[in-house]
Amino acid sequence: MKFGFVRALLLIAALFVAIPVHAEQRNFFKIGVITELSGDLVTGGNITKRGYDLWAQEVNAKGGIEIQGKKYPVKLVYADAQSNPAAGAAAAERLITQEKVDFILGPYSSGVTLAVAPVVDKYKIPMITGSAESPLIWKNKFKYTFGTIPPINFTGATSIKTLTEMKPAPKTIAIIGSNDAFSKATAESYKAAAEKAKLKIVKFSIVPSGQDMTPLLSAVRSMKPDVIAFGGHDEEHVKFVKALKQIGYTPKALLMHCGITDKAFIDAVGKDGEQIFGTTCWTGTAKTKSKVLWPNAAAYAAASQKAFNNPGDYTQGGCSAAGIAFQTALQKIGAKPGMDEATRTKLITALEQIDVQTFYGRVKFATSGEFYHANVGLDPLTVQIQGGQVKTVGPKASVEAPAIYPMKEWKSR
Amino acid sequence: MMELLPQALTDGILLGGIYITIAIAFSLTYGVMHVIDFAVGEWIMFGAFTGYYLNKWTGLDPFLFLPVIFVLYFGVGYVIQPVIHRVLSGTKGNPFLMGLVFTFGLAIMFRGLALTAFGFYSNSIPSAFSEGSFNLEPLGLTVTIPTVRLVGLAYALGITLILHYLLKKTNFGLGVRALAQHKDAAGLMGVNSKRTGSYVYGIYVGISAMTGVLLGCILSIGAQMGNEYTIFAFFVVVLAGMGYLAGVPWAALLLGLVQSIFMIYFNPSHTLLAVFAILYIILLISPRGLFGKGV
Repeated sequence: MKFGFVRALLLIAALFVAIPVHAEQRNFFKIGVITELSGDLVTGGNITKRGYDLWAQEVNAKGGIEIQGKKYPVKLVYADAQSNPAAGAAAAERLITQEKVDFILGPYSSGVTLAVAPVVDKYKIPMITGSAESPLIWKNKFKYTFGTIPPINFTGATSIKTLTEMKPAPKTIAIIGSNDAFSKATAESYKAAAEKAKLKIVKFSIVPSGQDMTPLLSAVRSMKPDVIAFGGHDEEHVKFVKALKQIGYTPKALLMHCGITDKAFIDAVGKDGEQIFGTTCWTGTAKTKSKVLWPNAAAYAAASQKAFNNPGDYTQGGCSAAGIAFQTALQKIGAKPGMDEATRTKLITALEQIDVQTFYGRVKFATSGEFYHANVGLDPLTVQIQGGQVKTVGPKASVEAPAIYPMKEWKSR
Repeated sequence: MMELLPQALTDGILLGGIYITIAIAFSLTYGVMHVIDFAVGEWIMFGAFTGYYLNKWTGLDPFLFLPVIFVLYFGVGYVIQPVIHRVLSGTKGNPFLMGLVFTFGLAIMFRGLALTAFGFYSNSIPSAFSEGSFNLEPLGLTVTIPTVRLVGLAYALGITLILHYLLKKTNFGLGVRALAQHKDAAGLMGVNSKRTGSYVYGIYVGISAMTGVLLGCILSIGAQMGNEYTIFAFFVVVLAGMGYLAGVPWAALLLGLVQSIFMIYFNPSHTLLAVFAILYIILLISPRGLFGKGV
């Protein structure tokens, strides 16, 4: 009986101790990709997949990652997080312990990233997410997790600032966020920026994901805010625009974030998408210069257009840039496939040190503070949909076209 | 804030209309076949995409295609029903649970199929009805009614009345009701349970597919949209009383009103919590639904 008890204790203890990941000898880099290939976030998950695929395709077309004169191809091994944090964590365990991947390219959503990050920390496997933006990820200071898209509290303020520079300047704002890690953080960042800009917040609400927001927007309409800002995902953006149109309320500015820069959003809402503002940190027309893979944003957009019949948005670009960050760090330390724990630890140090210009812009990960391991090398942009194209309208240094303000009434489009 | 009450009630009723369209046929098929079809959301999704592509190819308003979509999906349901019937009429194990698992599997398979066939982007179905809204001004208060949602409510009430007529005033309906009450006895009275079941399942799939077009015009469509509607259909049917068709409109309207009022007057992030709290309380008091007439 006593022996059985001890054995049970040992078994439980074993569950809490990470099994060391043994290196495998191979002549290619085996890279795990965890993303949302089914479930509610399938759109974003597949956009991240495109970004990772395009990077791998381009690297392999050039023969692989060159390490000390020898080229090593890359092989992506996918695991579906099913838009579910628990499934994402299980997928990470499988990729690490069974597939023995060298490193991981991370999920689309912040919620899944928050579940995967402790797992990669436990097994000491480096991960870069090319998409997740919730500040919570970086506040947790996960040693093995990095991100190429700056957190929303780093980027969100820019759009609010651009809007306050409009004439006549808006005075009131209603902010709504969907109840998931990223969307909630987006709404909160808009709130913080609005308070700082002395805009009067007439409504701040977080609503359950996927809900019909018409009743809430009816209440918002009665407050007549100049600006409505919304944090959500692609499907919710479409519903949000349609609900506003159905209740017949056109604010002076409608600000959204994730997804409006994707051509698919513009196709889905058509003329109703015109003049919607968004926050991003990259567009296909961004003025970037790089010596790695693609020489600039336009070249990347052209490659994406050729591969997917879509020029790609900032999420897809961020994912390809995540691959470039790994590639740069691997070359810096001369790491070869089948890395052991010591090499992976060196890779973390190298990632912390890299400062590389990519088609996406500068990639430089913070090494301390609230943005720990997030990319702080990029300048956030305010964009607006004009004539079916995404145009940068702020900050002043990056303007491609003057902002159209106030928005044209829905009924007169 | 009280000046918002007429708008909150209007929004709630219009939202309830959407829930009626999702749940009414689901309730019918449960009442007759005693199967909880977890694929209801996927039938809605398939209908939505059919409407989307028909609109894209022809440029005609999607509402014009509703009869075509009904006939098409009636056929699909009619053909599939015998398979479900076979699972449900098994003598080994627990046929009811097997039926649950079977439709759950169908739902997962359909979702994967849709992802491959239709892609992962969200879309919207344009319609002439989606463009406008009109205002009523009772007692100096403005109430906005979006045309497409009013059409949705009219569609919901129309379907409810047609089903009511079909069940209460026709010989086919008599057979369906007999089948719902006692399958063996109905068989002895000359009701062909297989064929009647196929008709009922066909009607259910046809109505669900038409509902998809409506939802695509009001909200959005995507390969993964079905799950959300399955949950709401299930909620409404449980609240109405499983299989009690006449309870569906009231349960749907209650759900819409609770959501609307809670979103406006309370914390919107707790809307679903409120909805489910009400469901639990009602089921505690009346386990057979709002009217105590469920199975």
